[in-house]
Amino acid sequence: MKGYLQTFIFAFIVCIVCSVMLSAFYEGLRPKIEINAEVEVKRNILKAVRLRQPLPASLKDQQYLDIYKQKIVEEVIDVKGNVVPGKMPMDIKEGEKGLYPLYIYKEGQEIIAYAYPISGFGLWSTLYGYLAIEPDAVTVRGITFYKEGETPGLGAEIEKDWFQDNFKGKKIWSSKEHKVMPIALVKGKVKDFYQDERADHYVDGITAATLTGKGVTALLSNMINIYEPFFSKLRKI
Amino acid sequence: MSATPASNTPAAKEALFSRGNQKILRDGLWDNNPISYQVMGICSALAVTTAVNTSVVMSLGLVAVLGLSEAIIGSIRNYIPPRIRIIVQLAVVSAFVITLDLILKAYFYSVSKQLSVFVGLIITNTLVMARLEAFSMHNPPWKSFLDGIGNGAGYGLALTAVAVIREILGSGTLLGYHVIPASWYAHGFVNNGLMVLSPGAFFVLGLIVWTHRSIAGYVEGK
Repeated sequence: MKGYLQTFIFAFIVCIVCSVMLSAFYEGLRPKIEINAEVEVKRNILKAVRLRQPLPASLKDQQYLDIYKQKIVEEVIDVKGNVVPGKMPMDIKEGEKGLYPLYIYKEGQEIIAYAYPISGFGLWSTLYGYLAIEPDAVTVRGITFYKEGETPGLGAEIEKDWFQDNFKGKKIWSSKEHKVMPIALVKGKVKDFYQDERADHYVDGITAATLTGKGVTALLSNMINIYEPFFSKLRKI
Repeated sequence: MSATPASNTPAAKEALFSRGNQKILRDGLWDNNPISYQVMGICSALAVTTAVNTSVVMSLGLVAVLGLSEAIIGSIRNYIPPRIRIIVQLAVVSAFVITLDLILKAYFYSVSKQLSVFVGLIITNTLVMARLEAFSMHNPPWKSFLDGIGNGAGYGLALTAVAVIREILGSGTLLGYHVIPASWYAHGFVNNGLMVLSPGAFFVLGLIVWTHRSIAGYVEGK
């Protein structure tokens, strides 16, 4: 009996010591961790909208936050594409349907781009990023993927600049067919498939990452359609 | 498993880096290297070695976790009830690993993003459990600490070696800088796609185990 009691007491003490230590570390480091996550998100929004004055390669955390505050206006839209007054993206609860965050890049009063978060499943993991559209509601201004767990060197290339640069100037709306035409990845180079205006709706694929590419195509189609009600109101065609 | 000096009785004043203690360090680093001799901790060796910077951070993390938890277990080894010793070991290791994960997230955010779940998986790294059970349950804190440092460094050495080979052949870079001259690519050199995938690590790891064992003259017991 004595042995059992000792065992219990020992286990109890170990648990208490470990949990006190962990709580202390967590509480101590939490502000820093939360700022890191916030900077990561804001840095990616700034990257997607392609600021007129490109960001220097490395900035202090606070500088990112300052630039973001200056240039980006946060809004929330509903399913019909109307701006919900008084709501901010951070007010959207996890799993809440029908509300979508929208980030507007302004220089002074001039609107330069609308950005919104995109996410969807790749091959192994959920991909997260931002897509920025020009005020004409047709042309892509930029895209980022900042979180993924795809195969390094293959699917993970979606995080690289060469891939993301392909999207600039592509179109999400076909003025010829007068309908939404999400951007899709081709297997190989676009110029080997399309030479006419259809090339505006395709980007070069990643060699040996066909399935990640299919995921990107699917998530773009999904997200572009979700935000279409909002952009259709902007379009003056 | 190596012969572990059974010094359960408090030894007479021993120098911090006496010959015996140096041997403990060297054992893990070379003579009894966890990766190439004991073949432990292979899972993470495959996962984080596509680039040198992630494997270096991973190795430093493991050195810290293993050293500290071995020291803790070594100092309370005589009080741990035998029935729950594995659970106690796990609790200590988990506490250190989660702390490490928090520190990485706070101060090395980009690296922690790349390492993702693999830091957490140090908890289940066979190497950690094996050293705690085999060594620090029978040895005083300082010796245990040295064993942890030695084994962690040995693990790091193997990991970094694999990572250097994989990053150069797989991506043409070292620590993110291009090392393969552009002229090679012009002459038809292509980055080896196999090297960025896990199977590539198996090949490299196998070659490293072979090389190490033939230099050290180790033969698997029958």
